[in-house]
Amino acid sequence: MNPVLVLGGGPAGLSAAGELASLGAPTILVEREGYLGGNPKRWHYSLLAPDLRPTEEVMDPLLGKIEGNSRIELRLSTTLAKAEPVEKGYRVTLRSAGALEERDVSSVIVATGFDHFDSRRKFEYGYGRYPDVLDFKEIEIMLHEDRVLRPSDGKPPKRMAWILCVGSRDVQVGNPWCCRMGCVVSIKQAVEVRRKHPEIDAYVYYMDIRTYGLWEDLYWKSMQEYGVKFVRGRIGQITLAEGGSRLMATGEDTILSRPTEVPFDMIILASGMEPSAGTKEVATLFGLSVGPEGFLTPRISDLNPVDSGVPGLFFAGAATGPKAIPDAITEGMGAALRAFQYARD
Amino acid sequence: MPIVEPSLVEVQRTERLDLEGIDVSGDWNTFLRSRVAVDLDVKILDWVKGHPQGDTISRCWQCGTCTAGCCMHTDYGLQEFNPRYFIYLAQIGYEEELRRYADTVWRCVSCNKCVERCPKGVKVEEVVHTIGSYLIASGLAPESPADRFDRAYTENLLRHGILDEADLFRTYERLEGRKTPARQILRMGLTLLRSGRLHTGPFAHRARRWAQMRSVLRAQLARDARCPAPTGAADRTVAAEGGGVR
Repeated sequence: MNPVLVLGGGPAGLSAAGELASLGAPTILVEREGYLGGNPKRWHYSLLAPDLRPTEEVMDPLLGKIEGNSRIELRLSTTLAKAEPVEKGYRVTLRSAGALEERDVSSVIVATGFDHFDSRRKFEYGYGRYPDVLDFKEIEIMLHEDRVLRPSDGKPPKRMAWILCVGSRDVQVGNPWCCRMGCVVSIKQAVEVRRKHPEIDAYVYYMDIRTYGLWEDLYWKSMQEYGVKFVRGRIGQITLAEGGSRLMATGEDTILSRPTEVPFDMIILASGMEPSAGTKEVATLFGLSVGPEGFLTPRISDLNPVDSGVPGLFFAGAATGPKAIPDAITEGMGAALRAFQYARD
Repeated sequence: MPIVEPSLVEVQRTERLDLEGIDVSGDWNTFLRSRVAVDLDVKILDWVKGHPQGDTISRCWQCGTCTAGCCMHTDYGLQEFNPRYFIYLAQIGYEEELRRYADTVWRCVSCNKCVERCPKGVKVEEVVHTIGSYLIASGLAPESPADRFDRAYTENLLRHGILDEADLFRTYERLEGRKTPARQILRMGLTLLRSGRLHTGPFAHRARRWAQMRSVLRAQLARDARCPAPTGAADRTVAAEGGGVR
């Protein structure tokens, strides 16, 4: 059997490669970066919502299945340069450090994931200009290392705000979709802050709270046990206040029907999910149809979310839309099974 | 807690009441007027949606980004001017509350920050103006002298293709129901005529082939006016559309 090619070393790709190896299939795992673990590793996610479980407890077992596995050929700092369908599977060209290598693979799993929204594009929030405006990319490592300090002066903040839906549900930046995890992750971060530093006040500016399913529990707990405050309204702009030492969030409290201008020491933007650069490249290489949002579209997403509709090509994880880590892992398993069946038959 | 909003209080005053030798005269039955919204009218939303400038209203999800950046609301401090709230009232059809803002709704200065920022692509500035138009068209807002002047002006332009000041004056006088003494008109007219600021009469400059242009404009105005008529005010719709020309 020719090996199965897994593109992407995030939760979905790791899960797929691990399952394929345990099914006995030879696997090539290709990762663009020089390390495995995808976005959770790249941005040093702290605890995972909703159970506040350290990210390592999820990622380490996934990584443990890969490292030192004789059935998995690990190709870090490698990208896909070319792919052409052959009678069964694909002939692919892998590029690493400028060198090209041609390989025959029996099937391909696309697990190229998402990129966090670049918050600089939402210029009215001043991300990139004001050092104390952060987004998910920076706050998680702060929480991870337990040093929640203002980047501007290194002092602990007294009052923090989270702004939901930055780069999500917003036609002005061309991202009309919901990122699904911004609400619960923001609430989780606020809980993490309040748990360790109850002296810091935490406010969440929201339009809708979408802690769907069992995640609702954390939303309730955040108010009842951790005293996180929720203000309904979207912040219109962030400016400097008090001689530049604090941030001013201007918005409308739509429940009060009143303008609010509240100074904060730190503001966290809940940066959404976009199809990753890799996802876009893969779509071009395989000539795949993408939806209006730029994510890959499964043939019938209700019936089989991992089935691309193209023989020998399968999807897993956030390449087909915003997804939480457990969903990505589940899809990795599903894609592994389908790829294995296809390669075997 | 004292009730400070007098418009919400209904007082029944008893001037002299003596119960078994004890004077109990004073304010009795002090009730709060009901503030329960009991009448919602879906027609408002239909009307605004059917208007060429108001069709983006149904995209609004009430996040308040428009109000947050609104220069009237925040910078100028006119708290009653709240585009998010106006849209909400129009969406749910709470006419009774909306009519309280018949004047305020026109305070928009069209800076268009809201349109730039709206995450749902609502053309807030246009929608708010349309809501104002609804209030006028349905007779909920008294037409102001400025509105009547606008009407006279449009009528004048359509008739002549170029402003005819004497005719404009006549029309406006009629709409206002006002009669300026003839001597005063004559004096004003002569002064203007001498300074070259009055164009009227058979020798005044006229737009060429205006009749043709007029028919095009009238057809367009009629098309613009073809949105659902507000309750019991069908005859006033055209006026609100900037037409009102017969």
